[in-house]
Amino acid sequence: MKYKDYYAALGVPRDADLEQIKKAYRKLARQHHPDVSKAPDAEARFKDAAEAYATLKDPEKRAAYDELGRRPTGAEFSPPPQWRNEHGAGQESFENIDLADLLAALGRQRGGARHGSVPIHGQDFEDTVHISLAEAHRGTTLSLNLRDAEGERRLEVSIPAGVVAGQRLRLRGKGGKGRNGGTDGDIYLHIALKPDPVFRPDGHDLHFDLALTPWEAALGAAVEVPTLDGPVVLTVPAGSRSGLKLRLRGRGLANQRGERGDLYATVRIDVAATLSARERELYQELARISSFNPRVPSSKENLHEQAAS
Amino acid sequence: MSKLHLEWQWLDAGESIDLNELARACEMSAAELAELIEYGALSPISENQTEPVFPAHYIAPLRTAGKLRRDYDLDLFTVALLMDYLRQIETLEGQLRSLQARRP
Repeated sequence: MKYKDYYAALGVPRDADLEQIKKAYRKLARQHHPDVSKAPDAEARFKDAAEAYATLKDPEKRAAYDELGRRPTGAEFSPPPQWRNEHGAGQESFENIDLADLLAALGRQRGGARHGSVPIHGQDFEDTVHISLAEAHRGTTLSLNLRDAEGERRLEVSIPAGVVAGQRLRLRGKGGKGRNGGTDGDIYLHIALKPDPVFRPDGHDLHFDLALTPWEAALGAAVEVPTLDGPVVLTVPAGSRSGLKLRLRGRGLANQRGERGDLYATVRIDVAATLSARERELYQELARISSFNPRVPSSKENLHEQAAS
Repeated sequence: MSKLHLEWQWLDAGESIDLNELARACEMSAAELAELIEYGALSPISENQTEPVFPAHYIAPLRTAGKLRRDYDLDLFTVALLMDYLRQIETLEGQLRSLQARRP
């Protein structure tokens, strides 16, 4: 068995009190927590600190650890017979035993359970998966890599149609195997949607920008627009202004029950960057005869939403 | 490679989960969950039932708060505070996604 210097791991003196130990651990945990640090060795350093703290915060485990004496980290050693008798550690070989496992077993024995008999819940797996809008709409199959103490396995799972961004799903009992009669772990998935070049999802509703020419917006038009089911013709009413939302009912994403959200086209009026001589002439003619001034507020100017055909 | 077509549990406000299942999912004891109810961090859907039932959307923030508790050796009252903040973050993230979608 290899010796580990838990006091050195936490950077505290051997006579440190519990408050000092807790403070040192929290500082290291904050520094090396895998959610905070992106350093390649962050997880290993966090685990080292957690292992040291698990023993030093518990007075009985700490006393048992102290009785083992002080050695350089990594030095091979075997607990003396008196220590084994005192702590019920048995007489088996300690060659392939990890110090943390040995000390953890002492804690379980104190709790009244024999070593190896405590039911242990299997490992839960938690992951964020990125899927496309079409996959969220129709459902998809994903291959998950599950890694635990027993090794790595791949699992192909069907993601149901109707999930939205931020959706959380749970697959009960399909995680790591439980031990000593413990229940099997679960799989938790957090759904994230990949950015779509056209549609912006809001729950099961979808939004997209509909670019119109000034005359289409002023006169009304029938324009082809994209939907998840392929292009459809949308009737744009005359007098459609920038920001107007046109709704296509039931053209959004499917939900869990197979119902669908709505699709919203937000009008954006565009103009050509360059004009032909004739186009310029017609615009100049319009400018001469029109009394329309968009900078003068009017009570009828409020943007509103319309249901499109 | 095995393929699973099993039923996923949707962890939404519309779905429910009983006390034992919530305890299992969040690796907490029933007594700890009872303390979180006292602190106002969890509210059963109905008080009348013999066994409390909770909305399933508690699971994700409670698992996160429970992990932070284990990682940083936090007390249960801090877990209750974390639950409130984590749920607020989730709500605000949802509102942000909605606003970004609606913005032309």
